[in-house]
Formats: sequence, C-alpha cells, structure tokens
Amino acid sequence: MTQTEARLNRKGVPAWGTLTGRWAAIAVALLPLLVFMCVFFFAPLLDVFVSSFQDNNGAFSLLNYADVFKEPILTAMRTSLGLAFCSALVSAVPGAILAFLIESRGSERLRQIIASISGVLANTGGVPLAFMFVAALGLEGSATGFLKLIGIDIYGAGFSLYTFWGLVVVYAYFQIPLMVIVFSPAIHGLRREWNEAAKTLGANGAQFWRYIGVPLLFPSFLSAFLLLFASAFSAYATARAMTNGTIALVPLMIGNLLDGNVIFDEVNLAKALAVAMVVVTLVAMIPYLIIQRRAERWQR
Amino acid sequence: MNLKRVVAIAAASAVALSATVSISTAAQAASVNYCKVTNLKTAGGMDALVKAAKKEGALNVITLPRDWANYGEAMDLFSKAFGIKITDDNPDGSSAYEIQTIKTAPAAKQPDVVDIGVSALNGVIGAGQDKLFANYKVANFAAIPSKWKDANGAWYGDYNGIIGIAYDASVSPAPTKIADLTNPAYKGLVALTGDPTAGQEPFMSVYAAALANGGSLDNIQPGLDFFKKLKASGNFSATKATPENYIAGAYKISLTWNFNAPGNIAGAKAAGKNLKFVIPSDAVVAGTPYIQAINAKAPHCAAARLWEEFLYSENKGKYTADLTAKDLKLSGSKLFNTIMGGQNIWVSGGAAPILQADMTAKKTIISGPDGFNVPKGAKVYQPSPDQQVTGKTLVAAQWPTL
Amino acid sequence: MKFLSPRQLPLTIGLLVAAIFVFFPLISAGEFSLREPLKQTHGFDNYVWFFTAPDFGKYLGISFGLAVLSALILLVILVPTVIWLNLGGARFRGFVEFISLLPLVIPVVALAIGAQTALPDFAQTNEVILAFMFAVLAMPYAYRTLDTGLRSIPLKTIVEAARGLGASWFHTIVRVVIPVVRSTVTSALFMTLALSLGEFTLTSLLHWDTFTTWVTTMSQSNILGAISLSVFSLVAVFVLLLAISIFIRPTSNTVAQEEN
Repeated sequence: MTQTEARLNRKGVPAWGTLTGRWAAIAVALLPLLVFMCVFFFAPLLDVFVSSFQDNNGAFSLLNYADVFKEPILTAMRTSLGLAFCSALVSAVPGAILAFLIESRGSERLRQIIASISGVLANTGGVPLAFMFVAALGLEGSATGFLKLIGIDIYGAGFSLYTFWGLVVVYAYFQIPLMVIVFSPAIHGLRREWNEAAKTLGANGAQFWRYIGVPLLFPSFLSAFLLLFASAFSAYATARAMTNGTIALVPLMIGNLLDGNVIFDEVNLAKALAVAMVVVTLVAMIPYLIIQRRAERWQR
Repeated sequence: MNLKRVVAIAAASAVALSATVSISTAAQAASVNYCKVTNLKTAGGMDALVKAAKKEGALNVITLPRDWANYGEAMDLFSKAFGIKITDDNPDGSSAYEIQTIKTAPAAKQPDVVDIGVSALNGVIGAGQDKLFANYKVANFAAIPSKWKDANGAWYGDYNGIIGIAYDASVSPAPTKIADLTNPAYKGLVALTGDPTAGQEPFMSVYAAALANGGSLDNIQPGLDFFKKLKASGNFSATKATPENYIAGAYKISLTWNFNAPGNIAGAKAAGKNLKFVIPSDAVVAGTPYIQAINAKAPHCAAARLWEEFLYSENKGKYTADLTAKDLKLSGSKLFNTIMGGQNIWVSGGAAPILQADMTAKKTIISGPDGFNVPKGAKVYQPSPDQQVTGKTLVAAQWPTL
Repeated sequence: MKFLSPRQLPLTIGLLVAAIFVFFPLISAGEFSLREPLKQTHGFDNYVWFFTAPDFGKYLGISFGLAVLSALILLVILVPTVIWLNLGGARFRGFVEFISLLPLVIPVVALAIGAQTALPDFAQTNEVILAFMFAVLAMPYAYRTLDTGLRSIPLKTIVEAARGLGASWFHTIVRVVIPVVRSTVTSALFMTLALSLGEFTLTSLLHWDTFTTWVTTMSQSNILGAISLSVFSLVAVFVLLLAISIFIRPTSNTVAQEEN
C-alpha cells in the first residue's frame, strides 16, 4: 500500500481526522454548489412557490391550484406532456444512434469537436431558431421549395411547421445534441472487452446486442429519454417565437399571464402553473435517477 | 452730497437690487421640485420646464417600438429639439412588463413615463393600491375626454387604432373585408400577430371577426367561431405574423393595427416586399386608447413632464429632418411651438389621437397616411374595458382548443 | 479512403445526415441575410450595417465577457465537486446530478419573475450577476460534460501522483487536472457563449443590457439586418469553435505523451 493509498483510506476519503474530517470534506466539495444554487435558483423558485398559494390580495388561497385542474389548462398540460414525450422519442433514437456511431468509431478529435458542437446546438432556441426553420421549412422555405421540385408537396399533404409535429421537428434541433451529450458516457462505458469476451464465448453480433448491449444501454437510454422529456416540457422561447397560441402549451400560458398585454390579474395563477410544471418534471426525474444509479454500476 | 457720492450710492443700490433680484429668482428656480409639479403653471411656464428638462438631459421610456404609431419620429424629434437622450427599455415588451418594472426595478432602471393598455391600468389603480403614478395635468388636459382620464391627472388616454387587413401585394384577389379571408385561395396564408390571450392586437382582431359575423361588442363568440372555421379550412396558419416571418413568406395576410401598418410597409419595402393595408368594410373595430402616465418614481421629473406636454401638443410644425440649427437656439416655449406636436405625429403614424375632436374643430390636425383612416360614414365599434373582460374570459377558455 | 470503409461508413453517413439537418436551416436563414433587395443582388450590406453600428463591439464584448465569467463560475463550482465525486464521494453522485438537472425543470420566464422579487436591487443592475444566472441555466449541460471528461482520464492516478509529490489541492486541480481536460473546459466555454448570445427572456425581464437585447433594439428598423444579426450569433460561435478545435490537441494524445 503506497503512502497515498494509506492517506486515502478504505472509502476513498482523506484520513485526516475522524467523522468531522469526513463531513468537512463533503462540505467543502458540495458547499459552493449548494450555496450557488440556493441564491440563484432556489431563492427565485421560493418566491414563485410562495405566491402560488396567494390570491391577488396576498391572502392564502388554493384557488390557483383548483384552476390548474380545469380547462383550458388541462388541455395545455396534456399537449405539453404529449409534445415533451413525442419530442423526446423522436430525438432520443437518432441521438442515441449518432452517439453510438461517434463514440465507437470516431477518433478522439472528432468526439471532442462533436461534444463542443453539441453544447452549442443544445443551447440554440427562440427567435433565431424559429426563423431558421421558417426560412427552411416554412410555406416558402428553401427545403419546401426543393422538395416541391422533386415532386413532394409537404404543405399540400397537410404538414405545417406551426403545428404540434412541426414543433417536434424544430425541437429536435436542440434535443438531438442534448441526447448526444447525455448518452455518450453510456456508450463510452460499454467496454470493448465485453464484446470480445462475448465473441470468444461464441456469441455473434446480434446475440451480443440482445443479451448484453441493449440491456446494459437501455437504462441509460431511458434516463436520457426522461431528460429530453424534461427539456422539451419546459422549453419556452422557441414555442413563443413560432406559434400564436392555438397549440396550447403550459410555458406559453405562463408567459401570457406574466408578460402579456391582455390578462393582468392572474400572476399567481401563472406561478401555480410553474409549480405544477416543476412537480411534473420532478416526477419524471425520480425514475431517471433511480435508473441512472443502477446503470452507473456498469460504467465504472 | 457731491456727484461722485450720488453715483456711488446709485451704483451700489443697483448692484444690491439686481443681486437681490437674481438671488430671489435663483431661489425661486431652485425651489421648484419638478417631481411635485402638477401642471405647466406650477412648473414656472414652458421656458422653465424646457430649461429644467435640458438640465436633466435624459429620459427613460419603456416598451416603445419605433414603428408603433411613429413613436420613432416622436423620440427623434424630442431628442434633437431639446438635446435629451432617450433610453428605450425593451421596445417589444408588454404592458405587464411596464407595470412589473415600476414595481420591482431598481431606481436606475425606472422608466419616467409609461404607455400601457387600459386593462393593465385597471389592475393598478383603485382603493388600497400603491400610488404608482404622479399627478400631472398637461396644458390640453381639459380637451381630453373625461372617460379617458383620471380626475387628478394620474393617467390619461393618448391614442387608439383600428384593426385592418395587411396583405402582400401578390395575394389575388386582394381582400377588402374580413369575410374575404375564408377564400380558399388564401390557404395557409392568414395569420395573427400573436396569441389573443397575450396581445391586444390579436385580441381586437377577434372582435373584428365577431362584428363581421353577426356578433357584437358583448358577444365575441362569432369571432371565435370564425377563426375556428378558418383553422379547419386550413386558411388560418398558426404562425406568428412578425415582419421576419412575412419576409420568409410564412404568411401573406394578417390583421393588424392601422398604426403599425405604415412602419410595416416601410420595413417590408426595405426588405424587398410589397405590403398593402386596408380597413375592412364589414367591421371597423377601434381599440380603447392606450394610457400615458408619469411614474411616481421617475428619475427625470422635468423631462418626463416635458415629454407629456410634447405628446399632447396639438401643434402643426416641423419634423426632425426639418429642424435647423437656428431653431435649436430658440427659447424653450418658442422651440416647443416650432416642432410638430405628439398628437400629430401619432396621426402621421396612422393612429387616432385622443384630442382628435378638438384638433379637427381647431383645424390643427394633419392628414394621416392615405387609406389608413376610417372610411367616411362607417360605424366604428370600440369595446369598452368591461366588455373586454367578458371577451377575454371566452377567448382564454376557447383559444387553446380552437 | 478511411471514412468509406465498411466500419466507418455508418458514421460518415450519420454525420452527413446530421450536418444537413444542422446546416440547412442555418444556410436558408443565411441566404435571407445576404439579400440586398434595393440593389437586386446578394451581398454583405446587412452585415456591414450592424458591424459598423455604434455599440456593436461594446455589447458583443459584454456578452462575451459574461460567457467567460459564466464558464469560470461553472468551473469553480463544479470541478472540485466532480473530482470529489469521482475520487471517493460516489455516494453523493445521484444527489449532485439531481441538483444539476433542476434548472431544466422550470421555464425561464417563471425563474425570471421569481428573480425579480428575490434578487436585491444591486443585483438587478449589475450585469455580473447575469453571469451567475447563465451558469445556473448551463449547469445541466456543464455538469454532464465535465463529468464525462473527468471520467475519461485516469483521475485517481493523476491526483495521487500530484498529491504524493506534495502539491496542494488547489495546485492539483488548477495546474494538473484542468489542463488534462482542456477540451472539456473549452466545450463548457462554448456552451456558455452560445447561451449568452442567445438568451433573451431572462436578460430582458431583468433589465440587463447585453448583445441579445441590443439586437432586439436594432432589429426594429431593419428586418434583413435583424435576420443577419441572428445568423451572426450562431455562425460566430461555430466559426470560433472550429478555429479553436483545430488548435487544441486531443486530450488522450496529451495524456499518453505525458505518461511516456
């Protein structure tokens, strides 16, 4: 046992002092993150949470939450959930395939460039993204025109960029890169040794995938899917730039009530909606974390 | 007494007298707290107000788009004439943003004046509410219809517009009324500028559709039914009618305020497209006037009050491009009377100013852009704030599931 | 050719399809930005318009500075935590991951409204605070990227070696670990840059003035100019990224060289 190993004892924790030493290490490591999040995230969130339980005069009231379960908010919830699910599904599969191809066959340099590009693309949104797609796939978009030239009239066939499925297509622009970022570590963890071990034991490619690859990757895939779900669910700027409200989405409703020109007396309802969104996303994230924990074991 | 002494005494008295006079005027001028001034008289007259405003040198406005009722020209003219730098916070922002800013922003970011919708106003005035606005009665306050002003001068209506159809010149046949929008030739071409639950322009467009289809100001339902039909037939596109989307060809026909049209047409021309505008013959819907108010926490009190006097000035005068260096040397009140008044600038932008009746009687009103004003003899419908409340509830409930 | 070999072909095709999806909309928007309708031709007039606009450099600098500061904040907060997680604090991994994902949970507009009331006055006028808010928004991605990066190097070995030779924790992190994951750090920087140039909701609702709000003000008078500005925001980051990627050597080569 080397000197350093002796210093880092059994649980990998520095052996300086006793229990207090351990807690000190944890505190030093986690404190910056926790303080940061408390000031810049939890504090604003707390304000939203507290006012969601107040009526317009500041008195305690559960009416806002009662409204959350009525129309048209219920429809908005359903559409938002549907959009999140479809967007996650449509983006997770190509993203996973792309991540697999890059991780398993790409050079180190390629992997790093893709990581950077994915980070940039995952943060595009709002008016610039909306315009890019209008310019490409809008009624007079270049892609629309190009497809017309080869005989495919997408608008004639009923497609429209400003519908539910149009949004799914636009969301893919930042969802697929997000998938690549999130799923690559899982592929990275799929050791080549296992493929070789399976081969030496007589398995062919399909069998490897069926008994080893897919079961190992599936939990990570599912947790990445849930992450994409959360991301699409709370996306705001892009939907606002593209549509005029006929696609009912909860973030848009929140925007209308907080930052609009027509309804001014339902600010706390908007906050209740935001809290409802947080609850839904947390409910989606808990399975994510459980699945991730279990998938982790194979990635070390 | 010899002559020298007399002269000395006279000179000394003269000096003493002028010193006293100048001290007292200085004291008088220094003693005016422009944040408490409630009209031009207590401000000490236009010259004093202009002087004080020039000294402040800056004005904070909020959510004023340049091509909205020609606010761009108003801001440029005010800036050039009085040497006051105007900062426009979030030009595309909402009335809710304006109110929120007044309530929560730090002192450096407070706007001096606001221009909000009536619905926003109703949420912040009334018993038990903090007083957000400073009382100030502009020179022409008496001419503002009493329905659209606060008795104490806390807020006052400024201009309103009429909903019309903006369409690309390539659209054939050209639409002339709301009912035309159902034409199958317009498949996928009709759009609104936003969500009626979020914007006054689309909200009033629904009223226009209601009136064109047998509804009334108390019954907006036919308007909702009309858009539902339009959506089902594929004519109504869910795209947002913005200038960028128009250039990209995402839509060709939209319903907009008449005071947005001149700016949109000019912008479209610069981008290579030909946009036209017409007031529909089957429904002339006017919005309620927007409301001007001076922020009680205004950082530049004199400039704020001068801006309001400017906006309510009925003068027919010079635009920014016509101002000469000689004009700029004029005294405050003379300069003020040389420049075009804010009311007329709004007319040039296609809006109907609040003092329209007064100006028409006095013949001080200029002509607006061609084709932008109400066709003679047409009945103008204007939903009152109370009627809008009922309308809002219906729209908020039905629009998301259209 | 290597990228047409049976093994590499799927990757090549995948990347090609992805490239079309990514660049086609960008090029379409770009074509609009190059239009010069009054001269009936295509050219760079719109770009010249905003490049020569007063304050262009000023606001671009502000957003760029915020991005750098934001990336720095993320590094300061996350790197020690992620190192600790990978060395011995593995029990807390789930907890930290949960925290890092929370910003995805709430729509930005609600966060902005909460921040209006929660943050003190000086925070709302001082742009530096915006860097902290950007760090919050970028946290889910930054944590992921840093974690992946730090897991792909022999972290324990490096840390043990440095500590064994007497380096302080600070020295170990700053002078030993971070240079090894240089590319991960640059990745995080580009992410915050993209975020900083594109984030509008939070910035405008809280009365800050950055490149994004300047773009909106400038866009009012000139539609094609507005389009060219948004194209610029995206393309500028890409170009910068590509330029730097050419000059940064891949990590594992560096580590391999150091181990030799």
